[in-house]
Amino acid sequence: MSQTTLLQSHTAVVIKRAIGSALSHLALIGASLLVGLPFFWMIATSFKSDVEVGIFPPVWFPQQLMLSNYVEVWNAAPFNLFFINSIITTFSGLILEVIVGALSAYAFARIDFPHRDALFMVVLATMMIPGEMALVPNFITLKQLNWINTYQGIVIPYVSSAFGCFLLRQALLGLSPDYFDAAKIDGAGHLRILVSIALPMVRPVVATFALFLFIGKWNAYLWPLIVTNTWNMRTLPIGLVMVRDAEGALLGWQHLMAASLMVLLPVLIVFFIAQKQLIEGIARGGIKG
Amino acid sequence: MAVTAPPPMQSAAKNASSILPPRKKLTHFQRERLTFLAFIAPNFLLFAIFTFWPLLYNFFLSFNRWNLLAPKPTWIWVDNYIDMISDPIFWKALGNTFYLAGGTIFIRLALALGLALVLNQKLAMRSVYRAIIFSPTFTTGAAIAIVWSWILHEDIGLLRLPLNAIGLISPNWLGDPNWTIPALIIVSIWKGMGYDMVIFLAGLQGVPVELYEAARVDGAGRWALFRHITLPMISPITFFLVVTSIISALQVFDLVAVMTGGGPMNSSKVYVFYLYENAFRYYRIGYAAALSMVLFVITLAITIFQTRLSKRWVHY
Amino acid sequence: MKYKVVTFVLLAVMLASILGACAPAEATPTGPVKIVYWRAISGAGGDAQEELVKRFNASQSQVIVESQYQGSYQDIQTKLQAAIVAKTTPTVVMFDSPLMPYFAKNGQLAPLDDYIKGKDGVDLKDFYSGLYADGVYDGKQYGWPFARSTPILYYNKDMFKEAGLPDRAPATWTEFKEFCQKLTIKDKRVGYAVQMGVTTAHWYFQGMLYAHGNDISDNKFNVMIDQPTGVAAAKYLQDLILAGIAVPGTGADGAQGEFINQRAGMHFGSTGSLGTIVKTAKFNVGVGFIPGEARRQVPIGGSVLSVMANASKFEKDAAWKFIKFMTSPESNVYFVKQSGYMPLSKSAAENKDMVAFMAANPNFKVAVDQLQYVRPQASVMALPQGMEIFRQAVEKLTVGKLDPATVMKDTKAALEKEYNENFK
Repeated sequence: MSQTTLLQSHTAVVIKRAIGSALSHLALIGASLLVGLPFFWMIATSFKSDVEVGIFPPVWFPQQLMLSNYVEVWNAAPFNLFFINSIITTFSGLILEVIVGALSAYAFARIDFPHRDALFMVVLATMMIPGEMALVPNFITLKQLNWINTYQGIVIPYVSSAFGCFLLRQALLGLSPDYFDAAKIDGAGHLRILVSIALPMVRPVVATFALFLFIGKWNAYLWPLIVTNTWNMRTLPIGLVMVRDAEGALLGWQHLMAASLMVLLPVLIVFFIAQKQLIEGIARGGIKG
Repeated sequence: MAVTAPPPMQSAAKNASSILPPRKKLTHFQRERLTFLAFIAPNFLLFAIFTFWPLLYNFFLSFNRWNLLAPKPTWIWVDNYIDMISDPIFWKALGNTFYLAGGTIFIRLALALGLALVLNQKLAMRSVYRAIIFSPTFTTGAAIAIVWSWILHEDIGLLRLPLNAIGLISPNWLGDPNWTIPALIIVSIWKGMGYDMVIFLAGLQGVPVELYEAARVDGAGRWALFRHITLPMISPITFFLVVTSIISALQVFDLVAVMTGGGPMNSSKVYVFYLYENAFRYYRIGYAAALSMVLFVITLAITIFQTRLSKRWVHY
Repeated sequence: MKYKVVTFVLLAVMLASILGACAPAEATPTGPVKIVYWRAISGAGGDAQEELVKRFNASQSQVIVESQYQGSYQDIQTKLQAAIVAKTTPTVVMFDSPLMPYFAKNGQLAPLDDYIKGKDGVDLKDFYSGLYADGVYDGKQYGWPFARSTPILYYNKDMFKEAGLPDRAPATWTEFKEFCQKLTIKDKRVGYAVQMGVTTAHWYFQGMLYAHGNDISDNKFNVMIDQPTGVAAAKYLQDLILAGIAVPGTGADGAQGEFINQRAGMHFGSTGSLGTIVKTAKFNVGVGFIPGEARRQVPIGGSVLSVMANASKFEKDAAWKFIKFMTSPESNVYFVKQSGYMPLSKSAAENKDMVAFMAANPNFKVAVDQLQYVRPQASVMALPQGMEIFRQAVEKLTVGKLDPATVMKDTKAALEKEYNENFK
């Protein structure tokens, strides 16, 4: 075989690769644009005037940024309360669930107990029970506790954690037992070991878990809808829909898009900051979306 | 809460022991066991109250009629279940749920697999693409439902643009009974595709490279590689995604509640939405409990089916 | 160590907020009595209520009212049911008038007769009887009229002109159909978009049934909608759809949006929407009576104020003081001018400000003039699911295009089942 044909075939491979990767990029750019379009459309609409919103074919960019849409929709409902409620319920739920999950995970990973693994199966079995089936009984339980329309009513029924227990147990089992034995010799109790040795060593897993919890609790709709019944206890997603359904409030699509963006922004920010960690967490664990 | 504040607890224990008659010291084993119980107690207590008790209580309630206002439920044997069999909306809701699941799964999985295959190579900006396509997964359902209601607007919605361009008239997506589920399918594909893609991607990266190399030596083409190696190797993942998609379709609520309210003509009434309506709008607590039991049984059946079947025909 | 501190602080804050939220509010006889008022109506009518509550709180020192917006009338119904169960009821509730009897019947509301006739009462002769008649259940006054309204017909004056129609609302349903025909341009606009909401669909359909000579149901809950007059009204509604001159208002913007965006020439709405519609529409808006046919009868709408039975004596007294203030001629005139709801009493209607307001707003005067034709809504609307069953009937007729006789027969059966299971 001569030099030239080898070179030619080499060039052919390079060109073929280049075309292949160009096509790949094209497909991915197309898909990204399509997926991103609703976000763009929400943002663009939120800055349009009511005239621009009513035109078809639509205008892509508003001529003037109507920041007043945000002010108007903010004033149409107590959004400041919705934000406070969402923040309180999301973070208190998140912290409690991490604590509850970590305690039980540590017990299952590091403390001996008869039939420990059978008990762990009980925890896993709860994942098979759809949460929606508990709506009615939990509502009645909360009513008996006088917890309807309270923060604890929104939060407490959802801080038990099979998933967190599973995830953290897995991480703790991955640690070398030497650390624990050394601590025990020093006379440390289990709680001390958990807080000052075990958890810091699996910090990435705890962080990923907390991120998932943040997103899940921030987005929660059905349960807060059921257990709250006054404006001042509503969380953001519920408040948003109530604002849309309010009669005679003179809100246009530009206002609704502005409000939707306000609700979405925190989760979008968290997602894009921690996207690598979150996506890899999903890929590893097959976490239900 | 007590476990987070050890110092006061210890002193309390000391005080108690000084008052009480001296007890035998706990052995190491006993202490370990007590600690174990204390550590799992919060989780198990919560499970007991908010997961297992509802199962039992639902079972009881499903044999009753109750509007919550009456002081006590009335025992009516299996009337709720009999009502359910003759309730056309129950069947409609069940049908809608599977229509939504079926309509979504195949397109979504095909698109997700395609994108995963493209992403499964060395490319610049790979993680950027992945992040953007994945981003709808974690968005707030209620907000997304409102955004899509606007995009699907039958007169001035964005989606009319491409439809008009190819000479089609936009259907009344959310107002015409024939189009509500297709509209929900579009949104579900948009929202769930990225998740499926990431799972597929993880699966593809798990396929041993040697398999491909061996096949290439045998002269297999791209399609043959895909057909005979990739597809069988990721079949457990595909199966997992199909099952989880069905189960999550059984739990759809936000999108339907916000976009269509289950209508018109019950055309988009999905299972959980119907359950919610019965429980918290009509206050038919017993009937809602019966619906919950059926939901539980269906989910359980699918899960058991999955574990059984995945052992038999999925290639590892 | 730092982490620990942060966690403890967070926990403490969280616990405090949780405990703070569940501290019960106790009414004490000494000092001002605090009562909670659950209201509906957002927009201008909502702001006006907030202003009135503020004025009431400032006007005296014995009672403090906390006003809480609860969403739509239907939301109030659902929320109140939940609140009764959870024992977190308010003191004063605003009811869509047909929804009040259900709670009165279950013993949840306090009769107001002693207050009305008492020394701090009101002059019954001054109030329009048509507006307080439906606050009565089983011979007792459980609701006192507040934001009362009637449905009126809105039309697009510019579109009427363009279609060569006279500048007035159609007088009969037959004429309404003719107008629809003339207004319709295929694929561009229709005469009318049918209201499909739970709180709206039943109201205009009731008007259609009344006009066709059907009484819907009597006080003993005998349902009559399957009679020939009822089927005729149902068929009339469906024919509008089949002829392509009306559409079900199921689009993204709803029926009112179709009218505002000039895709429907006529629209039915509450007088309470007058301000909103005139403000949003980019065309000249005309209004008229709901059409008649065999007769002219209009179902009254809007809300009454009621007091919960489980309130203490002090709270009830305070609640009546508040209700009396809210419905006084002075407050009423303010509320009417802000929102477009009805004047409740002769002294409010004859008030100088009100007279001037009506002279300046001929549209609003139409609504007041229509008061002579009002009658209460049908008794079946008091059933917990009455409105929803009616909404479904409208949906079956317009979206499902099912046979009118069958729809009315099924609707009757559904209403009777609902009565037997949940009201009897």
